Amino acid sequence: MLPLCLAVLPWGILCGSLAVQNGFSALETQAMSLLVFAGSAQLVAIELMAGNTPLLTILFTTLIISSRHFLYGLAIRHKVIDQPFRWRLPVSFVLTDELFAFSHHRKAYRTKVRLIYALSAGFSFYIAWNIWTLLGIVAGSLLPDLTHLGLDFAIAATFIALVIPGVKNFATLATVITAGVVATLLKSQGFQLWLVTAALIAMTVGYLISRWQAKEEHTQ
Amino acid sequence: MMVTILLMACITFFTRYLFLHRALPFKVGPKMQQFLSFSAPAVLTAIWVPIVFINDEGINLDWQNPYLSAAVVSVIVAYKTHNIYYTTLAGMGLFIILS
Repeated sequence: MLPLCLAVLPWGILCGSLAVQNGFSALETQAMSLLVFAGSAQLVAIELMAGNTPLLTILFTTLIISSRHFLYGLAIRHKVIDQPFRWRLPVSFVLTDELFAFSHHRKAYRTKVRLIYALSAGFSFYIAWNIWTLLGIVAGSLLPDLTHLGLDFAIAATFIALVIPGVKNFATLATVITAGVVATLLKSQGFQLWLVTAALIAMTVGYLISRWQAKEEHTQ
Repeated sequence: MMVTILLMACITFFTRYLFLHRALPFKVGPKMQQFLSFSAPAVLTAIWVPIVFINDEGINLDWQNPYLSAAVVSVIVAYKTHNIYYTTLAGMGLFIILS
């Protein structure tokens, strides 16, 4: 998780400086990272709030962007559900894209050691995210414009580093290609549900291919 | 603004906690589990690919697009090294040089 903590540095700085430059106070900016703790939702909400968008639109957009977490919760449910509430609560609070990408081990969350491991990873990521946001707040109030440095590419680079090593079979490759193409097409058309729709279509493609391959192997 | 931030926090937390709530009366079967095993690559890719290809004007397939060349290099480095540091450093480095 340490490399991920460092990899989100540009993203955290982007979040902090973008908020400050859009008229958020330092306290509000930091509160957002402390309470919401969701990079993509924060970035979009900052732009919306700066543009005086109605509250309901902001909240609906947050729900749409965050709805991918429903999938993550479903995916780790069988591993976590037998743990007491005092463990499930903090796990769900730090269930980010990055932590989820790291929790594919068969035994993840299932033993006390693994739970502590996941929580340490999750909360170190939380602390890092907040320190980077603070750096962004400072940088954003000192330097004129950081938001055009292309810091958003850091998000792409991080996710490439998370996804590509996991592409080990044809089903996952097809999932990744479908997700990329569909998401780009839908988003460029301004379709609001682009992220979840693209993800669900891509997951269906991956699932169908893996089922079909299993059947082929079975008949041979 | 604080109220908006608090409400956003509730929504994000709700999406993360909902399916870890025990009172929801269902079990995720093996087929569903297999379907969900594709969620990480699907969601993460659906986030990063549009960052690379979409700018203010729409879809940008130009090779002069620094996002695109830096992404190609990141993919190659990620594939060869499986290392998050090398991948982000190579990608960000090339991106900053090009833009």
